[in-house]
Amino acid sequence: MTAITAELTVVLTFALLTAVAATFLRDVLNAIIAFAAFSFGIAVAWLLLAAPDVALTEAAVGAGITTVFFLVTIAKTVRPGGERLFEPIAWRSVAVVAVLVGALLTTVRSLPAVGAMNSPVATSRITEYYLGNAYDQTGVENAVTAVLAAYRGFDTLGEATVVIAAGLAVLLVLRQEAYV
Amino acid sequence: MIDLLATHYNYLMFVALVGLGLYGVTASSNLVKKIIGLNIFQVGIFLFIVTSGYIDGGSPPVVHGHGAETYVSPLPHVLILTAIVVGVSLTAVALALVVRIYEAYGTLDEDTIREVRLND
Repeated sequence: MTAITAELTVVLTFALLTAVAATFLRDVLNAIIAFAAFSFGIAVAWLLLAAPDVALTEAAVGAGITTVFFLVTIAKTVRPGGERLFEPIAWRSVAVVAVLVGALLTTVRSLPAVGAMNSPVATSRITEYYLGNAYDQTGVENAVTAVLAAYRGFDTLGEATVVIAAGLAVLLVLRQEAYV
Repeated sequence: MIDLLATHYNYLMFVALVGLGLYGVTASSNLVKKIIGLNIFQVGIFLFIVTSGYIDGGSPPVVHGHGAETYVSPLPHVLILTAIVVGVSLTAVALALVVRIYEAYGTLDEDTIREVRLND
């Protein structure tokens, strides 16, 4: 029986509260600030889940670049004004969400406990292979880097292709053909 | 239910974040807030996948020169690294489309855009 550490509980609860704020705050600038705080909270949660590479990427990309993109967007468009601080609750959406959440909650009980030694991912042959052979075969100490750049190198090439395609799409949509 | 909170807290947070994200996408009529909802939904799924590879007391998977015996699985981390970068690319394209929609319609409110389109 494993229990989740108090730090992780606090950080995830903080992330959930900021996510609630980002969803329900009426002013878009407030929502973007709450979303940036949410990304930072999640980055700390990745660190506590022993995923420092994901934490660095989340802090740089999720909290950094994404927030800048959102801020540039509202600088070029509008912030809906209004006297209310929070959005009114949309009950039709609540019904849709209740169906999804209810369906997912029925599956939670059959998942392995968080941090269990015998969970399917922890005991998987793939995990053992990467941890056992990554250093000998690639010479990289960080197994995440070894898998990202060597074993799944084509996957990362595909990711780079997506980034290039997205950059071109942004330039075309914003009619900045001079740069394409 | 209380014991689930102690052992499956990450998975309950995953369900809550996915629900919040879906609520943000469907309830808000502002297009920028829909994209924020989409990002929250996405982070919820990341939480599910990273948690699935976590071992209690496991070290980050840096396999040489450390004395630790148990490492967490590197594969979920790699998948999520890729997914974060792809996610920010999609967010950038979506926000560019939002800017173009604002240039064309002068509003980001979904209901107003629908009315303008009906009147055209």
